[in-house]
Amino acid sequence: MNGASPNPSAAALQARFGGAIVGASVSCGDTIVVVARERAHEILRWLKETPGEAYDYLVDVTAVEYRDRERPLEVVYQLWSLPRRVFLRLKVELPKQEPLAVDSVVDLWRGADWLEREVYDMFGIAFRGHPDLRRILMWDGYAEGHPLRKDFPLRGRFSRAEQVRQALTKTPEAHHSVEELAVAEAFQQLSNDARQKLERAGGPGGA
Amino acid sequence: MDVKPGAVAAGGDAAAGLISSPNWITSRLDDLVNWSRANSLWPMPFFPACCAIEFMATAASRYDISRFGMERLGYTPRQADVLICAGRVPFKLAPMLRRIWDQMPQPKWCISVGACASSGGIFDTYAMVQGIDAIIPVDVYIPGCPPRPEGILYGIMLLQKKIKGESILDPTLRVEQLPDERGMFLRPAAVDELSEPFGNSVHQTRSA
Repeated sequence: MNGASPNPSAAALQARFGGAIVGASVSCGDTIVVVARERAHEILRWLKETPGEAYDYLVDVTAVEYRDRERPLEVVYQLWSLPRRVFLRLKVELPKQEPLAVDSVVDLWRGADWLEREVYDMFGIAFRGHPDLRRILMWDGYAEGHPLRKDFPLRGRFSRAEQVRQALTKTPEAHHSVEELAVAEAFQQLSNDARQKLERAGGPGGA
Repeated sequence: MDVKPGAVAAGGDAAAGLISSPNWITSRLDDLVNWSRANSLWPMPFFPACCAIEFMATAASRYDISRFGMERLGYTPRQADVLICAGRVPFKLAPMLRRIWDQMPQPKWCISVGACASSGGIFDTYAMVQGIDAIIPVDVYIPGCPPRPEGILYGIMLLQKKIKGESILDPTLRVEQLPDERGMFLRPAAVDELSEPFGNSVHQTRSA
């Protein structure tokens, strides 16, 4: 436990979820709680919605793969409570022999959308229930794999000539679906004045 | 006819070697065309990374790129003569760079500013184009990480020198590069060779 006192949320999680808490530790003053994959979503919801915990801000979702090939991948959730000003780090371990998948938390924090897409893009971890799980940094149709995995060679899997060919033959516009380009989809979410402005200009798809 | 050798009627290099009078001059058409082209290059800035900061310094008052007839940065490729690529180009950006180059009308030239644009620089990775010459033809490479404004100005002067050596009678100068059936502009072997790190300084096995 490194001498530092753990975040009391760790003990609260132990008391409430018992067997679903795989372990808790303190590293450099930060409390790290490892939780079971099946109950991660439930635990994150509890941490967000319980008044005494109130971890209402999801700082980051990322993943770690260790050099030791036997060690499972970890998905890391960095939480911050805005009213209480407390950090908590949650980890979910994903053994490599099983499909790499974990429940999405986009329904809890809207901001998890792109963070989970990045983890999917770089590590190949699927987020079940994610509304739009596509690559975000590499382009759609990128065929070389997931670059931050340890078995991914630094220069990629294809020859440089093949990489240039694939890059040159893709159409830049193909990244954007029609829905992304159309304002119509997001029209109802716009503010009132923006909506009125659009309507005066002929409306979304009204022309 | 009253010819006074040495009487100056036109400035710059076009004046070299011509017989001039207050009323008319003769010159090679090449010299005249190249002189005007070289001294009114309109750059198309393509600035994906930090070398752009040095170019901004080059364009600002201390180094003053407008001394070279280049103060008008054309932010549309349709009105540009020279594409200045300052910064590393990821593969994701490669088709945009190529499209901008294709949209520029002839005559056009390209300056590659800095180590990354010229060779991939420190980014010998899966994500980075190892030198934009695999994507578009380059006339002048400016080394440096980043090059100082003096270096960029020197590169521009080299390009002007190159332009002044061109001939309008050479039909191959303005031929547009067309993609082959694979969609590439160079042979795959040439791209592979261009992309090798210098001095074999990076040892890594590629899995495929």
